[in-house]
Amino acid sequence: MQVTTELLENTKLGRAALIAAAGEVDMHESPRLRSALLEAIALRPAAVVVDLSAVTFIDSSGVATLVEAMKLAKAAGVALVLAGMTENVADVFALARLDKFFRLAASRGEALGV
Amino acid sequence: MERTAGELGARFYSGLRYIGGMAWLLADALSFIFVAPFDRRRLRVRSAPVFEQMVRVGFSSLGIVCLVQLFIGVVIALQLANLLKTFGISEYVGSVVGLGIFRELGPLMTAMVMAGYAGAAMSAELGTMAVSEELEALRALAISPVRYLVVPRFIAAAVMIPCVTMVGNFVGVLGGMGIAWGVLHISPALFTQKMLETLVTSDVVVGIFKSWFFAQLIVLIACFEGLRVDSGAEGVGRAATRSVVFSIVMIISADCLFAAVFRLLLGR
Amino acid sequence: MNTEEPKPIVVRNLVKKFSGQVVLDGLNFQVNKGEILVIMGGSGCGKSTLLRLLIGAMRPTSGSIEMLGADLTLLDEAGLDALRKKTGILFQSGALFNSMTVGENIALPLKEHTKLSADVINIMVKMKLEMVGLRDFEHLKPAELSGGMKKRVGLARAMALDPRIMFYDEPSAGLDPVASAMIDELMMDLNKKTGVTSIVVTHDMGSAFKIAHRMILLFRGRAVAVGTPAEIRASADPLVRQFVNGLADGPIPLRVSQKDYAEDLLEPFLERF
Repeated sequence: MQVTTELLENTKLGRAALIAAAGEVDMHESPRLRSALLEAIALRPAAVVVDLSAVTFIDSSGVATLVEAMKLAKAAGVALVLAGMTENVADVFALARLDKFFRLAASRGEALGV
Repeated sequence: MERTAGELGARFYSGLRYIGGMAWLLADALSFIFVAPFDRRRLRVRSAPVFEQMVRVGFSSLGIVCLVQLFIGVVIALQLANLLKTFGISEYVGSVVGLGIFRELGPLMTAMVMAGYAGAAMSAELGTMAVSEELEALRALAISPVRYLVVPRFIAAAVMIPCVTMVGNFVGVLGGMGIAWGVLHISPALFTQKMLETLVTSDVVVGIFKSWFFAQLIVLIACFEGLRVDSGAEGVGRAATRSVVFSIVMIISADCLFAAVFRLLLGR
Repeated sequence: MNTEEPKPIVVRNLVKKFSGQVVLDGLNFQVNKGEILVIMGGSGCGKSTLLRLLIGAMRPTSGSIEMLGADLTLLDEAGLDALRKKTGILFQSGALFNSMTVGENIALPLKEHTKLSADVINIMVKMKLEMVGLRDFEHLKPAELSGGMKKRVGLARAMALDPRIMFYDEPSAGLDPVASAMIDELMMDLNKKTGVTSIVVTHDMGSAFKIAHRMILLFRGRAVAVGTPAEIRASADPLVRQFVNGLADGPIPLRVSQKDYAEDLLEPFLERF
């Protein structure tokens, strides 16, 4: 899995951190996604957008990591948006009955309005 | 005649297998303690279960060990009181009680109590887990029962049983001291002075070493008996009984061996 | 089905003997990715032995078991452990750790095998329990649960590491019809949603025909019938008919003694004279 974080000013959501993950998010990789998410939330942007369009596989640890990020973001007053989920990934969220739990966007463009 | 020989052979063979199985378990446990921390592919032993076992082995048994040791001290002093008085060497009661307890009876009696107290509980616990498919479930989750269950008990007993023995030793000496004062009119100061004159460091070290060794025997036998239970409640009961009996026999045999070896090595 | 992708489980010429007695006698079968394969058979047909071989709790006398690309029979303990992390098993009794709470049971494999933080593990435990409908029971001890609930928790624990293959050992044994139907429903649901390849060992015909994509009937260590539930139901083989319809007598004899009855009774007398 690769994770990159960039900080964007003046998006539709205001100052936003964009985390792009690619590859497989499994039990061994999700701690890295977690640290990227925690660092992004600690920057206190208006929003954190997680681009999942290049994620080919996510397991329940990946989903749980995003749930935890959601919890922390809410506490910090940061909006968390998941963007560009593929069907594969969306299925895993649906299985955990968490598809309604997150704020979703079709793509990072839609989420950020650029 | 032929039949007896055959039976004897079979018994000898099963005895060998028993010892072999136990040696295997010991090797496995030691590899988790000494090799696994340096091998990145292997899972380590976690500290939380070790502490949990320490509390169970150490603190909960402290009361009963102290009680037994107190009586041991009392009994030694009472039994010897008349004899020492006859020879007019009553003041040496401290020497006898101190040496007897620190070197011999303290480690031995504590180990006996522990074999019945902690050993039986361990084999019954592991045996119950074996019967209820829990051990198999652990293996299926890629968690070695030796690493997860045996090693924490091993470490906990190796640390806690010598500690409990030491505490018990002091209580035993107090018991002897009380009798010396009440019956022989030897003051605690004289009692202590004579005790310290007789006791040398090696006595105490040998006592601690023996207690540590007995602890390993107890856990090894208890865990081995527990892990190999394969049939129902009856098997669990049998495992607990066998573990206590074997432990006691092994402890006394080892103690006898130590008495001879240390006499040769240390000259006392 | 993609032909390039290897089958998750391929069993070839599997033989298991216990002190000379043949329990599995040259068994061959494959499991396709994402299917539910039911292995049926009466008691003593070798199905529990087969399951124990498949989870690597026992080694076969000969033959091979290829699982997720590795030959199980050639792996050492470390290799088996790596494979065990990718498979899950629901034991007949649930086999929960009685000294731990429900939540701790499910968290154990996660704590042992991953570097996930305690918070993430907590969330995962809730997710797994929600999957089997028992989220409110996280803090109870196994002794406080009914048999059906124990199995559901066992299922949640087996699914903790998101396995690719699930084994079920007699999932309906010891359950009332409602609890057993719930387990059937959960097995099908998990298979559909996660695509986990499932092998179910059972003698419960009702459940077998309900959940199976394909089924195998074992008899005396051999696969006597393989097919979809419809094919098995339509089979004219008297052995299959006896088993499916639950008849007491047929090719599977009611009396299993090999010796003649009269001979058996008279033997000790003959010896004495």
